[in-house]
Amino acid sequence: MDDHRIRDIVIVGGGTAGWMAAAALSRFTNNGYTRVTLVESDAIGTIGVGEATIPPIVTFNTMLGINENDFLAATQASFKLGIEFVGWGQVGERYFHPFGAHGHELHGVAFHQLYLRERQRRAMPDISSYAMSAVAAQRGRFVRPSREAKPPLSSIFYAFHFDAGLYARFLRSYAERNGAKRIEGKVVNVLQHGENGFVEAVTLDDGRKIAGDLFIDCSGFRGLLVEQALGTGYEDWSRWLPADRAVTVQCELSGPPDPFTRATAHPGGWQWRIPLQQRMGNGFVYSTAFTKDEEARETLVANLEGAMRGEPRALSFTTGRRKKAWNANVVSLGLSSGFVEPLESTSIHMVQAGIAQLIAMFPDRRFDPLERERYNEVIQGIYEDVRDFIILHYHATQRGDSAFWKYCRAMTVPDSLATKLALWRSKGRSFRDNAELFATSSWVAVMLGQNIWPEGYDPIADSLDPDKVALELERVRRRYAEAAEAMPRHVEFIARCLDNPPMTAAAS
Amino acid sequence: MIENRVRRIVIVGGGTAGWMTAAALVRVIGEIEGLTITLVESDAIGTVGVGEATIPQIQLFNALVGLDENDFVRATNATYKLGIEFRDWTRHGHRYVHPFGFYGLDMKGIEFHHHWLKGKALGDPHSLDDYSLGIVAARQKRFARPRPDLPNSPLSKISYAFQFDASLYGRYLRSLAEAGGARRIEGRIVDVVQHGDTGFVEAVALESGARVEGDLFIDCSGFRALLIGETMGSAFEDWSRWLPCDRAMAVACESAGDPEPLTRSTARPAGWQWRIPLQHRIGNGYVYSSAHVSDEEAAATLLASLDGAPLGDPRPLRFKAGHRPRAWVKNVIALGLSAGFLEPLESTSIHLVQSGIARMMSLFPTRAFDELEIARFNEQTEREYVDIRDFLVLHYKATERDDTPFWNYCRTLDPPAGLAYKLDMFRRNGRIFREHNEIFTETSWLSVMIGQGIEPQGYHPAADLLPDADTLTRLAHIREVIDHVAPTLPLQRDFLVQQGSASGEQLRRAS
Repeated sequence: MDDHRIRDIVIVGGGTAGWMAAAALSRFTNNGYTRVTLVESDAIGTIGVGEATIPPIVTFNTMLGINENDFLAATQASFKLGIEFVGWGQVGERYFHPFGAHGHELHGVAFHQLYLRERQRRAMPDISSYAMSAVAAQRGRFVRPSREAKPPLSSIFYAFHFDAGLYARFLRSYAERNGAKRIEGKVVNVLQHGENGFVEAVTLDDGRKIAGDLFIDCSGFRGLLVEQALGTGYEDWSRWLPADRAVTVQCELSGPPDPFTRATAHPGGWQWRIPLQQRMGNGFVYSTAFTKDEEARETLVANLEGAMRGEPRALSFTTGRRKKAWNANVVSLGLSSGFVEPLESTSIHMVQAGIAQLIAMFPDRRFDPLERERYNEVIQGIYEDVRDFIILHYHATQRGDSAFWKYCRAMTVPDSLATKLALWRSKGRSFRDNAELFATSSWVAVMLGQNIWPEGYDPIADSLDPDKVALELERVRRRYAEAAEAMPRHVEFIARCLDNPPMTAAAS
Repeated sequence: MIENRVRRIVIVGGGTAGWMTAAALVRVIGEIEGLTITLVESDAIGTVGVGEATIPQIQLFNALVGLDENDFVRATNATYKLGIEFRDWTRHGHRYVHPFGFYGLDMKGIEFHHHWLKGKALGDPHSLDDYSLGIVAARQKRFARPRPDLPNSPLSKISYAFQFDASLYGRYLRSLAEAGGARRIEGRIVDVVQHGDTGFVEAVALESGARVEGDLFIDCSGFRALLIGETMGSAFEDWSRWLPCDRAMAVACESAGDPEPLTRSTARPAGWQWRIPLQHRIGNGYVYSSAHVSDEEAAATLLASLDGAPLGDPRPLRFKAGHRPRAWVKNVIALGLSAGFLEPLESTSIHLVQSGIARMMSLFPTRAFDELEIARFNEQTEREYVDIRDFLVLHYKATERDDTPFWNYCRTLDPPAGLAYKLDMFRRNGRIFREHNEIFTETSWLSVMIGQGIEPQGYHPAADLLPDADTLTRLAHIREVIDHVAPTLPLQRDFLVQQGSASGEQLRRAS
């Protein structure tokens, strides 16, 4: 055995990111010699608002061996089948970005190509009528597909809406059970190696010194280690994503929770609506260059569906990414590594992706720069993929009702996105390169949903008989509608999960 | 229907690439109304078709064109292939197999080889080969198709390809293509007619005076690159500084008994020799660098190391490693040797045609010929050639051999950047990452890097999630399972006969 093994991992900050990291690392480094310590201060608030997620979260929970029903009970969670976008293409329009695909390919021809061709022959229902998740979501229905599920139920992919503060608490007890140690205290100083700048320890306000081999910076926007100590630098993306502030508030539910997130565009920004079991999370995201705080607050409050709970809270940010998510022996996770607004519910996923890459590239105390560089390249790639997809929503708009939307519509987009749009515009082609986070069906949903209609379609589609294809499209649509009608209502399904939490007991 | 759709596709050249393309096009888009698929070839021009070895992806192609596997194996005198055995590459007397499929079993979410590296550090002497069912079975001359119905058995993960007579394969695909409506025109092309302004190819003129017009031309003319090179002037990028072999001497010989389901590659003083056992004979060839050995000497080396009597005289082939960065120009798409050449060390020639066809299908044009789509095709094609090149260079670079000027050159050459990176990553902690769905998987890289003597300094820290004793126990268990399962597979010769793919007669030693 070499003696370069990591003995002490110190996580700085105990928000969602910190406890996700602690939970995963406590499980993953359960080797008899690595200790996981998390330092947090009750005096520092966390950002935890109602949080929406994307399907990989299911994998994260599974990897930890978490019982999903326990998790639902502990975090006030509801299920999520996608996002409804209101007013993004034009005022008054809406579309659905579902998890999971639209239909299925036929003889190697992508479903959306057949849809595009058929649309040249007749008026077609919205493409979301061909996505199982969307069809169920719009009816307020949900069922969790079993591992053995067959089509169409097997094409359901889901995520959750949950209370991020409760999720952190849930993961904390998990991590502590697995031996992670929590230290209460405020970090006041960071001790670095004189020559290479590696972080050796953090000092707390009571004078204690916490030493470590590997530090995980989960301190939020300020980046206590990665930025304040290491001066890593931040790449600013606000020319493409000018929103820099959000005002958030909870309200009462006005009905049973929907199994989807809603994102509504307003003249000065957009508003999220995240239904949990017992309340609704809301927030208005805007750019201070275009919209005044007062106006934002008024828009938010005016568009709540139920009685407001508490006072709106404001939150500032700069969209972008840390130039090196991993610098020296510090890995930043969550807001310390970058920020992209929650329009596609990617915040928690970015933490998860960072953890997964850290595990894949787990270092020893020699901290091989080649492995670190690779980590940084992968994380940069994920951030840029998400960035491009978010920019698409702003840029692909026909709205001209405010200076904000006019700016977004006219702005120059990154080359990577410009190429994607050009390929789409000519024949409706969309390629998922290098394991991009968002699948082709996600791009298709947003591009069609925001009225970017390609000039043509894939010539290969003409190898299939249009009348037979039309029948198959119709069959898919009807089958999905019938399957959705047979599902329980979302709220009933949640109740069912909460009623008999221990899955292990049910299985035996 | 699309107004400006491609109505006339003309394939120039009828070797393996040409008929693969025709068969695929007929199958995928043959039913588009008014579409014609024409292949022009001349019986007077020989094809390169030698005994050809493939990789497992060919099964996808065969499924696409709808061929029946047993029928195809019979028609092309094919044998099955579980991997490639490399002899004398690392040093004289050394051998290893690059298998299709996996080694061992991933444990604790960590790839198997980290556990193997840990076991090695703990003193376990077993080689990687012992953890591959494909290798163990192949050494016993055994073969069976995978059993997906037994997900917990290593039988479920058997991965295989074929070795066959490429000219018979071409003939077989021709019959499929013609039955599906492709038209074959016999004739020698004497002129290429281009549009005066745009330079698009409008037609090819034949010796007979006939003109074959088209909207889209597919250049399968081989090394000559009639359309993509001679007409379009798409430049060839020379990679011979990394892959100095530029000639081959090929000859078939008589079979020498039961074939192992393996291609063999044996390092020689100035290159390497392939050995591809078919049902009725063995294909052989010495790939060499003309700067390091004469043709006569190469032929003599080849003839001196055959398993059976040669069937005819050795045939010389000349080539240069490299590719055309623009494989698609205007309305001409190059597939096969006209697009590039990489020696058959890892049996990729047919795969490159196949993936070129797939890429062309996914970017199939209209007569507007979108430049952005063409650029994407060319970028992806280039990346594929580069990926394979890097993997091939690995074999030459990672060697201990210093017994000839050729091997000294190879051992000390500056590797391409992508390869250098992979080597660095592996040397440290045994890490291998498959980039952008590159054709060769982590298993392939692992196999050759370990096989050719590269020793990582560490392993993934997560392998320590298993206590040391458990690691050794589990490794032993995997070996036991493989040793137990391998003898239950039939001998390949019996398998071929059982499947009706060959007669006992064909498999007999030619006499």
